[in-house]
Amino acid sequence: MADQSWAKHVADVLRRNGIRLYATVPDYIVSHVLDELGADPECRVVTATREEEAVGLLSGAWLAGHRGALLMQNSGLGNCANALASLNMASMVPLVLVMSHRGDLGEFNPAQVPMGRALTHILDALGIRWIRPTSIAELEQQTDGLIKLCYVSSQPVAIVLPSELTGGKKG
Amino acid sequence: MSPLTRAGATRYLASRVKNEVLVSNLGQASLDLLAIADRPLNCYTFGAMGQCSSIGLGIAIGRPDVRVICLDGDGSLLMNLGSLCTIAAEAPKNYVLMVWDNEVHQTTGGQATATARKASLVGIARGAGIEKGIEVRTQEELERAVDRILKEDGPFIVVVKIDKGSSTAPFDQDVIGQTSRFRKALAALPAA
Repeated sequence: MADQSWAKHVADVLRRNGIRLYATVPDYIVSHVLDELGADPECRVVTATREEEAVGLLSGAWLAGHRGALLMQNSGLGNCANALASLNMASMVPLVLVMSHRGDLGEFNPAQVPMGRALTHILDALGIRWIRPTSIAELEQQTDGLIKLCYVSSQPVAIVLPSELTGGKKG
Repeated sequence: MSPLTRAGATRYLASRVKNEVLVSNLGQASLDLLAIADRPLNCYTFGAMGQCSSIGLGIAIGRPDVRVICLDGDGSLLMNLGSLCTIAAEAPKNYVLMVWDNEVHQTTGGQATATARKASLVGIARGAGIEKGIEVRTQEELERAVDRILKEDGPFIVVVKIDKGSSTAPFDQDVIGQTSRFRKALAALPAA
């Protein structure tokens, strides 16, 4: 049984690293993080129609001086791979990606499985540094360093949220 | 054949802007803007086809005191029509989406886009909830539209029907340098 406070830990680590602007295409798992952020008057959440659009928006916000994070399902990575490569990586525009890992342990929907299997390979192929904490302790241990790396290197990074951490989606 | 050209319309718009940010779409829009009116507050985009309007929206949200004018293309905007819904929902007053609509994918060889057939980008934008939509076909209409977007609250969409034709301007490969220059210039612009 996952510790339900995982979502608050994710929200807190993003906030304590100066991220106030969030864009999302809704997902059941990351919605728990968005509940925390949406209730914070210092944070702004923009709902996009597609993940690629959210990449563009957050990249523009960074050019205007604001840190941003994209919260999505891992299927959305496929919808924004080109923007991450040809905008963020090519122009050195940092961005924090936060994505649930559907299609892995405990998955109920066969359609999620292929992207679930491909997820870390896609991130590796793009050269995007990622972490995949399976406990709150690992999340707390790794995430500050990952976000620091994002802005030091001016490159996108990814926080993958596996079902061991979040409890996944039951059906 | 339209009496307006992208280069001519770019030259006119550039003559009117001061502290406004111009965000140009990859390919033709960026080539012409760079050659005709390079300035540090120009944000050229080089990749992520379709994202010009979204990048501009992020800049407008990040700097609500600065007017942001995107110079998109019809083919690119057609790839990211959902952006129009997000622009309408967020409704930044400082946001303008201009579209150089020549009804073709110019950079890839002039293949027709949907605006050459049935689609109206102003009509689609109105349906998405952007109430201020203007279609421009003449120099006089362009001048009237620019008067409005520099004065009135947005969000606006201005679709400028232009003649077909590729930019003859050279490509600048310093993608990182151009992006960095823009970010610094915007940061240095005092809050209005």
